[in-house]
Order: sequence, then C-alpha cells, then structure tokens
Amino acid sequence: MGSFLDDNITSQIKEVFINLTNPVEILVFTSQKDCDYCEDTRTLLEEVCSLSDKLSFKSVDVDNQPELAGEYHVIRTPVIVVLGQIDGLMKDFGVRFSGIPAGHEFSALIHSILSVSSQEIAFNPETMEFLNSLKSPIHLEVFTTPT
Amino acid sequence: MVTADAVEATEFPELSGKYKISGVPHTVINEGAGNMIGAAPEDMLVEEIRKALKT
Repeated sequence: MGSFLDDNITSQIKEVFINLTNPVEILVFTSQKDCDYCEDTRTLLEEVCSLSDKLSFKSVDVDNQPELAGEYHVIRTPVIVVLGQIDGLMKDFGVRFSGIPAGHEFSALIHSILSVSSQEIAFNPETMEFLNSLKSPIHLEVFTTPT
Repeated sequence: MVTADAVEATEFPELSGKYKISGVPHTVINEGAGNMIGAAPEDMLVEEIRKALKT
C-alpha cells in the first residue's frame, strides 16, 4: 500500500479542512472480486480522512455486509458515500463517487466533503422551490474521466 | 430525495455503454429518463430534471 498524497497536497488539504465544521463520515464500499481500483480507493480515502479529526472513515466489503450496501443502494464497487451529521446522527446527503476519485474528481471529492460538513446551500431560490416540491426521487449520474 | 453520483466512466464500461457515453461530462437523470451533455448550469439542469420527470 503506497501513499497517494505527497507533502504538498497534504498541506493544501489540511489548509482547507481547517474550515470543516460538522463531522463527516466517509464510507468506502469495496469488493475483493473483480475490482481493480478498490484497494487504491480505500487507501486514498483513508489518507484523506486522516487529515482532520472531523472526518471518520469506514470501509465496507459489499460481500460481507450486503445489507449495508443495500441500505445505501450500492450496486458497484468502489463506491464512496459522504455522510454528514444532523442532530448527532450520520445522515445520507445523497453524495456518491463511483470509481477512484482521481484527477478533477479529487477536488470534487474535497469540495463535497466541505459542503456536507458546512451544510450550506448555494442554490438559487427557484431551485430550492423545485427541490422542495419533489414527490419522487431523483438519481443523477455524472460521467467523468480522470483527465 | 436526490442522489448524485460522480461515475468514473472508464472504470464502468458496461454502464457507460448502456447510456452511450461518448463525451464527458455527461449527466444521466433517473437511469436515462433525461440526459445532459457538457456542463450542467443550475437552471438548465433543473429544466432537464423537470422534463425527465414528465416522461
């Protein structure tokens, strides 16, 4: 298991993590079967979580804990779930990453940790009105590539 | 009510194939009920989600 984050990146992340307010828990769902990036993703997220005491990390093997995978609707691996704390309980904010968050997705991951922690909403009022009116679930999958 | 998943396209070729992903970013709404190719500004994304909900 190598180290993914060099000293420069580590100090940059620590700098932004000073702004973390509420605790965040990262779940990494992995499988020992046919998963090229599971080990790297778990190591990467474990390293990220070690950079702030506001962050906790949990690794979940989907074959050993299928009920937990089901609870978070995880149907592939690796999948990262970013949980935030409300009233002392960890809640699902609907934030997922499928596959290793390398390249641009790494900054998206750091951003999502910050916004789940701050719980600040930056949408405009029309969007909020629309979201509050939703009667059925919305599932967005944003396809990206690492470069 | 809303889940958003950033999917690494090359790691999940079957899924990328299913949605015919040829360029990124590409946002798939509710398993293909809607699609948005390229950047997704807030108002346009909301509009696409509205459309997808009507299908």
